[in-house]
Amino acid sequence: MDLNFSKEDIQFRDEIRDWLTNGGYPEHVKYKQDNDEPLTRQDMVDFHKAVSAKGWMGYNWPVEYGGTGWSPTQLYIYNQEFGKAGCPPLLAFGVSMVGPVIYTFGNDEQKKRFLPDILEFNTWWCQGYSEPGSGSDLASLKTKAVRDGDHYIINGSKTWTTLAQSADWIFVLVRTESTGKKQEGISFILVDMKTPGIEVKPIITIDGEHEVNSVFFTDVKVPAENIVGEEGKGWTYAKFLLAHERFGIAAVGASMRELSRLKDVVKEINNPELDKKVAEVELSISALELTELRLLSALENGGNPGAESSILKIKGTEIQQRLTEIFVEAAGEYALMYPGAHGYGSNDKPSGPEFAAASLSKYLNMRKTSIYGGSNEIQKNIISKFVLGV
Amino acid sequence: MNLNYSEEQTMLREQIQKFCESEYDFYKREDIVKSDKDFDENVWSLFAEQGWLSMPFSEESGGFGFGPVELSVLFEEFGKALVIEPYLSTVVLSGTLLDKSNYSAKLEVIEAICSGSMHVSLAYAEAAKSYEYNSPSCSISDMKLNGTKTLVLNGSNASKVIVSCLHNNELALAILDTNADGVSQNTFSTIDGQSCSEIIFENVSITEEAIFAVGEEANTLLNETLNLATLCVGAEAVGCMTSCYLKTVEYTKGRDQFDQPISNFQVLQHRMVDMFIESELAKSLLFKAMLEVDANSDEKFKHVSALKAHVGKSGKISAQDAVQLHGGMGVSDEMMIGHYLKKMISIDALFGNADHHLNLFSS
Repeated sequence: MDLNFSKEDIQFRDEIRDWLTNGGYPEHVKYKQDNDEPLTRQDMVDFHKAVSAKGWMGYNWPVEYGGTGWSPTQLYIYNQEFGKAGCPPLLAFGVSMVGPVIYTFGNDEQKKRFLPDILEFNTWWCQGYSEPGSGSDLASLKTKAVRDGDHYIINGSKTWTTLAQSADWIFVLVRTESTGKKQEGISFILVDMKTPGIEVKPIITIDGEHEVNSVFFTDVKVPAENIVGEEGKGWTYAKFLLAHERFGIAAVGASMRELSRLKDVVKEINNPELDKKVAEVELSISALELTELRLLSALENGGNPGAESSILKIKGTEIQQRLTEIFVEAAGEYALMYPGAHGYGSNDKPSGPEFAAASLSKYLNMRKTSIYGGSNEIQKNIISKFVLGV
Repeated sequence: MNLNYSEEQTMLREQIQKFCESEYDFYKREDIVKSDKDFDENVWSLFAEQGWLSMPFSEESGGFGFGPVELSVLFEEFGKALVIEPYLSTVVLSGTLLDKSNYSAKLEVIEAICSGSMHVSLAYAEAAKSYEYNSPSCSISDMKLNGTKTLVLNGSNASKVIVSCLHNNELALAILDTNADGVSQNTFSTIDGQSCSEIIFENVSITEEAIFAVGEEANTLLNETLNLATLCVGAEAVGCMTSCYLKTVEYTKGRDQFDQPISNFQVLQHRMVDMFIESELAKSLLFKAMLEVDANSDEKFKHVSALKAHVGKSGKISAQDAVQLHGGMGVSDEMMIGHYLKKMISIDALFGNADHHLNLFSS
């Protein structure tokens, strides 16, 4: 047993650090991230294009599709270094979600058509999964696609669609068959957001941010060739995709960065209770980090960690939330003032601690993490069923 | 022993509940939050008509002479409906402080408060003085007030402000007009949809009469007023906690997933039971605190701290759980439930957070 990374892995880590600190990570994006300023769509595009130019966009893809072909350890290092540097999280919808579905289940035409644009970040994807009546019970979805000659006609609505307002394409789970088991009759279809009949309506969240949306489909006509894989097999692809989403969900790197920012903050305050809370969360991060490494090690040795990875989702999101809670406590009385998700901007600022407004914004925003991607209650059901066997 | 509300207190509760149901639903509240003033003139007039603005003042000052129990009833109901009208600021923090003071012109001010025609704010907080309210940096020398106060609730609507400051090296309370020469303010939104201000005083002329309390008298007035206000927000938190579990039970019963209401799942049932238990414990601590304050006992500060420490911690957890059990709807700004969480954050921040009051309780 050896806790240290191999020489090659350390070289790899240094290469990433070098890119992050010596001009690879776009300056203007870094500045905004470091100063808790909101990113524009263009900032996000610039960041992703920079990663793409370095050849690191296909971080979880096999080499034959233009991916990096990295080992799980390399992928872990990559994620952690990006998190520690405070980079915006790479948008998962294209590269981490729809991409693997297309190269695994799509036809050659689809691979040629969609994969290069995902790697170059020429298309911004969003995810059409949840519906108003289908959250944790995703398979109960009702959005309908009816075959009409060379097309499907889609009617229905999706919700909690992250950044649909910025997206060029959406991958949608639709019902193509209503008889039989609810998991059957679901198909996976790719839809251009410019297609007539699609309407995006913002959902404002409690932090005041517009990040998620409702997406309405009214007689949306989509070429039949946009179905991925077989009609009616969408549920299999959806589950495959969710397994891919799991990677990096622990967000250990990002939490380590927040922890170090938090330590700087509490150092100034001299409050033993806060110090203790910070120590507790640091301990949890350490435990989570090693848990992720143990799962990685099993993976590299041919094991299949499977449902254990739900631990990463549960503890990872709990830690992310806990960090924001302590930040808010550290703001003391100034947790009372909240200018909204985008801070005070150029307006007069109150005299309280600089971090107060951003802390509240993150605190409120992070409430979603234990809800999305399969709520933490669902994750516990998964562990209970597949790990404990009860 | 009798731990039941009197008939009069129960009637008051019903009256407030009726008002909140018919005049103050969530959409109405949202409109008020989005308005420039962060309160509603018509609602405030209704408060005056109902006598709620006169409630806690002594009969000599033209009030009903109601005490901390009635105030707690009012705030508990306000908490359930997430009322954001500046009652705490104008009536509790400023009005009751003046009522107990020897300020020569207090009757006129209290009368204006009771009629709903005047807002007054108490400027008790300063930056870098976290929760230390008895040693301000603001000071009066040569009858000029200088300094900056922060987190002044409803400051932008107040025509008068009561300032805690130093005068001849002693704590003093002074009242002045917010439009006096040398007074300027910046207004900010609070997380729960109200507003607060930073008020800057630059060589503001103060008269002898305006300095209405100094030394021990000022300390007592300030401490007792802040204690009463802490009790009020504690009661408000109890109302929030009650609504959090009730609304979550209602939501989970109506939300079907996996072909059944999600309230069927035991893990959610237990979470809701925990929310219920915590709200009952909070209610018990509220009873203790309001009765100690009512009796003006030696332990009145200690038990208000117990309440505040409890709701600061478990109230926030209950509201977080309420959001969690509402799923995506919980983080949607259009749903009321997420606003309870924001209210709990603001309550914990006010007058000392959970850790602070736990320390006070244990010392």
